[in-house]
Amino acid sequence: MTTPVEFTNVSKLYGDFKAVSDVSFSVPEGTVCGFLGPNGAGKTTCIRMMLDILKPTSGSISILGAANALDVRSRIGYLPEEKGLYKKMTAAAVIAYFAMLKGVPSKPARSKAHELLERYGLGSFQNHKCEALSKGMGQKVQVLASIAHDPDLVILDEPFSGLDPVNQGVMEEVIRDIRERGKTVLFSTHVMAHAERICERIVIISAGSLVFNGSVEEAKSLLPRRIRFRGTGDTELLSRLPEVTDSGPSSDGREGVIELRLDEGADPQHLLKTAFEKGIGLEIFEVVDPNLHEVFVHLVGEEAREAAFR
Amino acid sequence: MMQIYRVAIREYIENVKTKGFWIGIFVFPVLVWMMIEIPKFLEERGIPTRHVVIVDRSDEDLGEIVRERITLLNRKKILVELQTHLAKSTQKQRDEMMEEQKIDAAELLDKLEEGLAQLDNAEVEINPFSPDQLVKMGDLIPEEVILNDSQWNFLKTSVLKQLPEDAPEFENPVARFAEVPLPEGLTTANSDSEIEAQLKAHLRGEQSLASSSGEMVDLFALVIIPPNALEPKNKIRFWSSNLADTDLLDTVLSALSSEAREREYQRRGIESSVVSEIASMRVRSNNFDPNKGVGDEKVGIRDKIRQYAPIGFVYMLWVAIFSIAQMLLNNTIEEKSNRIIEVLLSSVTTNELLLGKVLGVAAVGMTMQLAWIGSLIGILKLKAGPAATWIPDLIAAVVTPELLFGFVIYFLGGYLFYAFLFAGIGSICNTIKEAQNFMSPLMLLMMVPLGTMTFIPSEPNGAIATTLSWIPPWTPFIMMNRMAANPPAFEIYGTGILLFVSVLVVFWASSRIFRIGVLRTGQPPKLMELIGWMKSSN
Repeated sequence: MTTPVEFTNVSKLYGDFKAVSDVSFSVPEGTVCGFLGPNGAGKTTCIRMMLDILKPTSGSISILGAANALDVRSRIGYLPEEKGLYKKMTAAAVIAYFAMLKGVPSKPARSKAHELLERYGLGSFQNHKCEALSKGMGQKVQVLASIAHDPDLVILDEPFSGLDPVNQGVMEEVIRDIRERGKTVLFSTHVMAHAERICERIVIISAGSLVFNGSVEEAKSLLPRRIRFRGTGDTELLSRLPEVTDSGPSSDGREGVIELRLDEGADPQHLLKTAFEKGIGLEIFEVVDPNLHEVFVHLVGEEAREAAFR
Repeated sequence: MMQIYRVAIREYIENVKTKGFWIGIFVFPVLVWMMIEIPKFLEERGIPTRHVVIVDRSDEDLGEIVRERITLLNRKKILVELQTHLAKSTQKQRDEMMEEQKIDAAELLDKLEEGLAQLDNAEVEINPFSPDQLVKMGDLIPEEVILNDSQWNFLKTSVLKQLPEDAPEFENPVARFAEVPLPEGLTTANSDSEIEAQLKAHLRGEQSLASSSGEMVDLFALVIIPPNALEPKNKIRFWSSNLADTDLLDTVLSALSSEAREREYQRRGIESSVVSEIASMRVRSNNFDPNKGVGDEKVGIRDKIRQYAPIGFVYMLWVAIFSIAQMLLNNTIEEKSNRIIEVLLSSVTTNELLLGKVLGVAAVGMTMQLAWIGSLIGILKLKAGPAATWIPDLIAAVVTPELLFGFVIYFLGGYLFYAFLFAGIGSICNTIKEAQNFMSPLMLLMMVPLGTMTFIPSEPNGAIATTLSWIPPWTPFIMMNRMAANPPAFEIYGTGILLFVSVLVVFWASSRIFRIGVLRTGQPPKLMELIGWMKSSN
């Protein structure tokens, strides 16, 4: 079993500027991996290096077991960050053309284009010219073009940007479909909700350096859990417990709900027990796991803000 | 290979689907048709008969001499029409004859040229571009015969008799000039100023005038021949509001001038027939070319025509490069500005993409040119009769296999050189407007060989031509132009090799620039940056 994507100490310099510095990670086969990072973190540069569109300044990249992506290009599907299609070609023709460039013979390529457009709700648009499609439709066509040759590894650069919520749902469905066929998906995004819903693993880079590489669960365990409760009696008592690091009104805005931040490794059951013992009446008591968004802000927040103001 | 082919096929199909392609294909034959038909139309219908009032105040019948010249020109025009009519009506028979006897058109030309040289008629010219009238009948028949009414009628009827029975009837063409009498109320007894004052309105086109047949016509000119008009100090008075068409004036002046010379000869006791005999003496030459084979060194008409062949090829190359430049720029910029290029580059190598594009667009250019050549041949055939093998025969006789081989090689080299250059330029520009900035110097570069086209045939192996041949962007144009003059073999091979080496260099450099340029947005790079890109591994 080969590792679909493996970065070993990869750096990329543009003159003196270090776009990517000493990044190592790998994506196991058959997983959906989110490639996360703030704007300008080097995600697109990494992806272009994976595809051999750019060459790394140092380090090595192995993709589907090959050192050069062009050697295995027929097994890779790629959706670039900035999306575009040939304006004058029809949706079906564009999909078939890109499949053919990946080595699919022309007839199967055309029937595959037809099949994909039908499956993802664009059947009636297949003979429309791309310039006549809406932005969302065009983007869907482009994603379909990148997977029409049934690649083993699909690399999507910001696949959700510019899509409405319904189409974002379709895009998530596309990604799940690919995984169900046992293929590997790597996609970049800065919208954590998508990553949280469909990723098994995430890689986070910030300012060109690797910040995190692991499963979503591992990422979430980086932040302590929180308790949200509303009760009667001496509720202040709970906030003063030693394992509580911070307290305040709930971040979800519900009236009277108090949110407590717990120390790492603290047991929420202990709080519940204390409340019971001290006779605090609880109307609401929730244990809240940190979401990926919080983990992300926690990991790259400072750097991202600094970068934004630089 | 498969990738190159697929890129090329898409490039071809998408370009062929554009409106511009079809407009390009159809505009050309329409233009050629108009170029052939409009002058003919203008000649036939555009210039009407020029009506003239001649007032002769000389006592020596100078007016008669002018009238005679007018008749001569009118009858010569009829002869030309007769000849065309005859040629058209007997086309089939002549084709059959040519078929049976297997007459080589080019050989026929050579023979005709020899025959005329022996005839010693200095005024006769061969027109190799008018197959139906290589020599105009009017130039061969003596003027006395044309001017003598009975001989003229006999000549005309005997030509008409040669027409096959099913031929359409011959119609006299519109006369070039016709004299009209003075209007009522005016006679030659009136003074010049009276006549001029009265006729001004007619000359301005405000009033028409009755011709001798009673028809109302526009007056074109008034000619007043003063007494003793042949003496230098006395000048003809010529009135006309049309200053551009000097045919009539030239006719009048040349008729009177030759009369003046004739009288001067007589006054000095010189026989005028002796003079014209002496004046028609010509020293003739046989031209030889040492580059031609032994026994075949004589320079004939086909060698002269051969000088024109390269010009045709140079223009063809020029048009070919021009027509693809825009296509290559447009779709490289489209792919770049739409960011399609990134997907392409994850599927094909830069070299495959570049080669595929250039080949695909080349195929579009070729299709267009073949369509043009096809329509040109079609029009020529239509104009010269369906079975006219004359033109291809001539081209075959003129363009030798070596010449053709040279053209093909230089054409390919020149084409690829510029195609790669344009694709490279397209890759560093984001908009057509940016591309225009780079295009202007390139267009200037391409204008240089056009400027040299006139002097290179006269000095094909001179220092300038030789120097320019060794500059790769100009090599194809200049060498094509020189090919007919047998340049030294080492120059042919040397410049050829240099050209193809530079094609490779341009390809290499363009592919380097292409690879980096297509992923870059924003301002086009500066020259030093470009050089850096070529050096960088990526």
